[in-house]
Amino acid sequence: MTTEGRSSGAGSFEEPHALGHDQFLDEVHSFEFWFQAVEGYLSGRPYGHSVGGDDDAPESDSARDALITTLCNYCIGETAALEASSGMIGFAPNRHAKIFLATQVVDEARHLEVLMRRLADLGVKDAETEIERRANPALRHFKKRLLQLVDGKDWEAAVFAQNVILEAMEFTVFQAHAERTDPITREVLEGIIKDERRHMGFGENDLGRRLIAAPHIRARLAEVRRELDPLVLDTFEHTLEQVGVPMDQRPELGRRYLASVTRLGFDE
Amino acid sequence: MSDPLTEFLPGEAREPAGPRQRFVLDDSGFDEVPKKYRRFYRKWDGPADVLASNEVLCPVCKVVIRSTRELRVGDRVYCMPCMSRLIVMRGAGGRLEARVAYG
Repeated sequence: MTTEGRSSGAGSFEEPHALGHDQFLDEVHSFEFWFQAVEGYLSGRPYGHSVGGDDDAPESDSARDALITTLCNYCIGETAALEASSGMIGFAPNRHAKIFLATQVVDEARHLEVLMRRLADLGVKDAETEIERRANPALRHFKKRLLQLVDGKDWEAAVFAQNVILEAMEFTVFQAHAERTDPITREVLEGIIKDERRHMGFGENDLGRRLIAAPHIRARLAEVRRELDPLVLDTFEHTLEQVGVPMDQRPELGRRYLASVTRLGFDE
Repeated sequence: MSDPLTEFLPGEAREPAGPRQRFVLDDSGFDEVPKKYRRFYRKWDGPADVLASNEVLCPVCKVVIRSTRELRVGDRVYCMPCMSRLIVMRGAGGRLEARVAYG
């Protein structure tokens, strides 16, 4: 709750809104900020959750199988982000971005680890094989294109594909999934969502600044979006179906997913 | 891309004048930023969540941003959970909203 009252000046030193923009970016793009942020929601949650006792995972074979397929595809997305963000450090345009990406690499590796641990909890013996067997072809293709953009050292396109498109999709899908799954999977996803806030915010803000400074890159990024859209939307639709989102709720989730690209002016 | 500083039409709403209300913020249990900043943010409870005059919703990550003072049009706030700089605007419905300021 916010309590109305007289301020004795408390907070004026630490009021984050009083920071200059450069000071703010120094603060949030640091490992120190990252350490203290993740400590708040990961401490005491080994492998991403604190649920003890019985595992309330789906008991029916079909529901359990659907959850395994969904988690396997999350592993594809997280592996893509892990490989891409680590590759992007080498050509990130400044040291703040390099440091931020290093924190993102750690986040993505943790996501992959907790998801694979959840697969093991669900009885998956060989996660590597199972992930390959159940991979959505569109998501696999998206990963391949993302890594090609990284190999080409195309900063704007890589940030757009990874931190805006992929992260926004994951943020939306994971929230929808967390609302309708078992307690352990929910807590694992909620921890990942908290990390995703940083990743997609970094992408949107970095790209927003670049689009103002160099408007000519917009046409190239629009082309990237046209190419990746069908892949992402296919993955998005399949996953929403797997996690049981009713048809009538999917358009609203689609709008949420597209909000960041719309804010950046890619609203065709 | 819209420019939040030029999109607001000041003639559409009469903005309050005079001294601003001050607020003492307590910890809402928000755990996604370092401890010293936690009271400046809280979880959003969805469209039915009524925001106080010192609060605004981050459009990027849907976290409620709080200030120790009443917010007014033109104020700058930061969303630390998603690292966004935001400008407070008067939305179409008359409520305060935040728009991302990239530049």
